[in-house]
Order: sequence, then structure tokens, then C-alpha cells
Amino acid sequence: MKTWMKTGLGVALSALALSLPASADDEKIIVGFATAQSGFMQAYDKPAEDAARIRIDEINKAGGLLGKQIEIVAADTKTDRAEGAKAGLEVLDKGADLVVVSCDYDFGAPAALAAEGAGKVSFFLCAESVKAGIQGVGPHSFSASVLAAVQGATMAEWAYTKRNARNFYRLLDTWTEYNKGICDGFDWMLPRLKDAKLVGEDTFKNDDASIAAQITRIKSLPQEPDAIMLCTMMPGAVSAVKQIRAAGIKAPILNGSGMSGSYWLSAVPDLSGFIVPEQGSVHGDDPNPKVTEFNATYKAVTGGDPSSQYVYPGYVMIDVWAKAVERAKTTDADAVVAELEKMKDEPTLFGPRTFTSELHHQNRGRYLITEITNGKPKVIDEWTISEAIPVDYLASK
Amino acid sequence: MTALLQVFFDALSLGSLYALGALGIALIFGVMRLVNFAHGDYIAFCVFAMLWPSIDAAAIVFLGNLPAWVLIPVILVLGAGISVLSEILVFRRFRNANPATMMIASFALGFVIKYFLLMLYSSRPKSIDLWSAVSLPLEIFGARIPLLQVITIAVTLVILLGLVLFLKHTRYGLEMRAAAENFTMARMLGIRANTVIMMAFALSGMLAAAVGLILATQSGTADIQMGANLMLVAFVATVVGGLGSLPGAVFAGFLIGGLSSLMQAYLPPDARPFRDAFVYGAVIFMLIWRPNGLFTQKSAKQRV
Repeated sequence: MKTWMKTGLGVALSALALSLPASADDEKIIVGFATAQSGFMQAYDKPAEDAARIRIDEINKAGGLLGKQIEIVAADTKTDRAEGAKAGLEVLDKGADLVVVSCDYDFGAPAALAAEGAGKVSFFLCAESVKAGIQGVGPHSFSASVLAAVQGATMAEWAYTKRNARNFYRLLDTWTEYNKGICDGFDWMLPRLKDAKLVGEDTFKNDDASIAAQITRIKSLPQEPDAIMLCTMMPGAVSAVKQIRAAGIKAPILNGSGMSGSYWLSAVPDLSGFIVPEQGSVHGDDPNPKVTEFNATYKAVTGGDPSSQYVYPGYVMIDVWAKAVERAKTTDADAVVAELEKMKDEPTLFGPRTFTSELHHQNRGRYLITEITNGKPKVIDEWTISEAIPVDYLASK
Repeated sequence: MTALLQVFFDALSLGSLYALGALGIALIFGVMRLVNFAHGDYIAFCVFAMLWPSIDAAAIVFLGNLPAWVLIPVILVLGAGISVLSEILVFRRFRNANPATMMIASFALGFVIKYFLLMLYSSRPKSIDLWSAVSLPLEIFGARIPLLQVITIAVTLVILLGLVLFLKHTRYGLEMRAAAENFTMARMLGIRANTVIMMAFALSGMLAAAVGLILATQSGTADIQMGANLMLVAFVATVVGGLGSLPGAVFAGFLIGGLSSLMQAYLPPDARPFRDAFVYGAVIFMLIWRPNGLFTQKSAKQRV
């Protein structure tokens, strides 16, 4: 082999070595955000992402993780599934030890699968489907939020216990898996509540121009139900609530966390008897003063108050992952996953978290109960369902 | 009896919105053979026009604070404006293109409007409270119907009547119909075709604005996708009604709304999530039975 060829090969090899992922860099730990920075999902990803960045800042200021600073790299999924996979690979190329993916399962999964393929830990910012984790991605994937089913189960058990609700009505918006998840949790809980029964049920679609027919069915019940389990989300939820109340139905309306926050209340002035579960209060009345402190920090950083509880899972995500890294003393994915799976009721600012080798999501969780009265939201209670929803049941849905 | 009347009212409630949407599409189709898929985005545009552009979660109401007697004409003019503007900037350039090309152009225009709104307002739905009082229901013979729907039905019928009279009995109406029949010939005979077509676009835009106001009042929400579903149903209604026929579009709008309400009321719970499959199944049968729609325009038939 001629010398110039050898040199050429040598240059090529060293170039290859230089282009290898930066994971060889021992000076810092890298968190990669493969989330939507443009398009439809951006408005849903950004709040939780901002919260995650706040937690990263706190850790860095306190001396870092394993003595190293956490660095953030990001790639835009452009709210597109194909771009999502590319964004996942891009942050992995930049050496991400943790890949943070979009809030929604469908939009986050491509990047999470890319991370899974590379054997890295991935976290959904706030997906609430059981698929966001082992079931839908693989053994290194987690979600920072609480399952939608827990929200439905929480509302059912709370209303039964605290409001003596016995006759429930179930109104499901068939638009998303999230909506279905809330009602699945409600369906699981209802037979466990003695004497509680379903007096009627109906479905609608989020973008139905009118739900007059559904309202007629509620109105024609011999007596108004004690509570209406409304499994829906924005934007159709506002329209549904407005039409239900305009028709003179006064029964309490139970909903999932999708309706957390007060930004939509101006659409239904003087709304009363609307109850949602929240992981923390954005209304400034959280029983934990540290949450209110966090809200202030969030405002200082982003310029606005948290708009809904979906800010909080971003903070929880970095919190639990960093704890697992500390305990594992490495960012190696398998070791971190093993530490995460040891967490049982691990306290966080927004309720305890438990991960097992079966489920990387919460099938039980503490919720604040927020009721809207005369258009004003207020935390009135706290509730944790009496037993966890079985993984088999969740997976069968 | 009351129960039946209630089902009838529910059907009217949904149908009247569809009918109004279908009318806006049928009008443009009748004049220039264009299925304007941007119509749904005009609706969203008119609703967002009431808010101040901001990407915050909470909406900043701007024009929406005006009293009704100012707000309604302002929004109608805005609707007419965006519709006329899209004719001048886009559709005029496709006047001699085939209808499929125009349809694709209308899709593209719709995307542009949607992403423009996304840029200004973000994808989060915004809340707006518009005339809550008219959402309250009226009792008629024991059955209940929201006042808003009574208004919608009345508005639909009045607009339909007005349009038919306009098209059949005024000079501009005659010109519009002539332009629809044969654009080149009409121009040769001295019809100011651009004026006529612009007028049709203005009317169609106002109809979109009217639908926007009604939807915003009923749902309290502004969402960039809000016109999409209505647009789809309205398009199907214009096809079922017979492309280009205004009474046909209105009738079919009520028919689809009615069918949808009836299915919602009488299907067993397990089948209810598939309501739309049944509705569109019925539409397919209707089109097999009458491929040109229920009210066929003479001019719409192929002349061999």
C-alpha cells in the first residue's frame, strides 16, 4: 500500500472517530429534546419542556449531576411523525443520554423508538396512554405523567365518597385514545363502588357542531344523574360543557386533567360544579407552597403563569431521572432503568411516582381535586384511588 | 309526541348549521364550478378575527368586545374581504384551468390561511364568550331548542330566499347565472364577469362569517381546525343536494344533520361511535340512487 493511501485511510479513520457521538465526552451529561418546536404540538410540548429546563437549571446550579453539568441539545419534530424519528436520531447523534419526546404518544413514539433502538432512556413529556412506555415503545421508555385511566377512576371514587354520587352518566368523546382512557378508568372503578350505577351513556365527537341529541338523552332520564363523567378534551370539551349547562343540566360534571387550567373559563361564564383532577395547582392555591414557588419561577423564566397542569410532568421527569442517575452513579441506560424501577412512591413536587418492571407509567397517583364554582377554580380536596388499576386491564383496552 | 318533537328540533339544530355551510359552497360552485375547500378556513379566520393575535393560552378578546350591531357587520365584511381577496389573488389566475386544478388550489389556500392563524395564535384553542344569552333554550310544546338554533334556522331560510330572489329576479343575478353557464359567452355579451364573480365570493365569505359567529357563540371556542368538519359535511351536502343547486344544498344540509341526530338518538350505544359511518353509508346509497344529487341543475348535466 502506497504511503499516500495509508495517510488517506488514516485521515478517514480519524475523521470517523471525530464524528462519533459525543457520548465519549465525560465532562457533561446531555439531555436531548426531540420535541415539537413548530407546528400543532409545539403549544403542548413547550410548557412541559420549559419546566424540564427549569429543573435542569436547578440541578446545574446545585453542582450538576454526578459532578457534571447537564447540557441540552434539541431537534425539532415539526409535529410530524417522520420528522420525529429524525429528530430522535439527531439528538442521539449529539450524544443524548436521555431523549425527551413529544407529549402525545403518537407524535412522541417515533423519537422514543429511535432512542430505544440506540439503547437509550426516553421519556414522554406528558403522554397519558399506557403505550407510552414498555407496552408501546420498549423497556427503556417512560412517561412523566399519570395514566388517563387514573383520572377517570379518581373522579368516580372521589365523587362517590365525597359527594355521595350513586347514579353516574357517562359521556365519551370518541376523538382520542386519551378520552377513551379516562372513561376506561371510570368503567374499571364503577363496579368497585357499592350501589353506584351507570344510569345512561352516550358518545359524541370532539368537533360535532352540536350535541343537542346527546343532551336530549340526559334530559329524558327520569331524574338528573348525580354526576356526569365527561371524557373529553379541548377544544370540544368547552363546547360540550357550554351546551350541557345552557340546557339547564345542573349535575356536577367530572372530567380528566385535559380541562385543567383557567384559560378556557371565559367561554362559559359563571360555570359551577365542574370538577377536574390536577397534579398540581396552577391557580396559586396548591397545598404545597413549593408548587406556588415553582409557578413563580416558571413565570419569571417564561413570562407567563403555567396555563395548565401539563407544565408539571416536565419537571417531574428530570427530577426522577436525575435521582435515578445519582443512585446508579452512571447515565448507562440499563442501570438508570433499574434504579427508576426501584422507585416506589418516590416523592416529587407533584405527587409520588412509582415505576416497575411491568409499567413505566402511573396506574395510581395522588391528585388534587379542583372544582370550578361561579367561574372560579379552587382546590377543594386531594385523592388517591384506593387500589392501583391493574396493568392487564390497562393493556387490554 | 314531545319526544318526537325534540328529536326534530335536535335534527334542525345540527342541520341548520350544515345548511348554512353548504349554501356558501354551493354559491361559488354554481357560479364558477369551484369547490372551495378554503371555505372552512374562512370560518376559522372570521372567528379568530375577534381575538387579538397572541400565543398565550388565555385569549385576548379584541373585536369580540364590540356591541353586536357593530360586530356582526364588521365580521361579515371581514369574511367577504378574505373571500374576495382569495378570488383576486388566487382563483382568478385559474379561471381557465380545469375544476380539479382549482380545487387543489383551494386546498392550498386553506393550508396557507390555517398556518397563518397557527403562527399568529398558536395551535391551542382559545376561548371567547359571545352572547351567552342566546344559547339558552326555548320551550316549545314541551320540547327544548336553543334560541341560537332558532336564529340559525331563520337566518338560513332568509338567506336562501334572498339568494334565490336575487339570482332569479335581479339583473346581477341574471348575470351571475349567465357567467355560470358560459363564462366566455357571457363576457362577449357585455357582462362584467369579474364583478359578478367577486360578488359571489363576497356573499360566500359573508356566509362563512355567519357560520363562524354562530359556531363561536355556541361553542365558545376559536380553534384553527374549527371549520374543517363543517366544511366536509357541507361539501357532502352540496353533492347530495346536486352540485350548484342552492335549495338542494340547504335541503341536503338539513337532511344530513337530521340523519346524524336520528342515528345518535336511536342507534344502540355500541354502534353510536360509528354514527358517521352510517350517515355516510346512507349518503353513498343516495348517490347510487341519484348520481347527480337530489336537485340536479340542468347546466350541471353533461351535454354530449
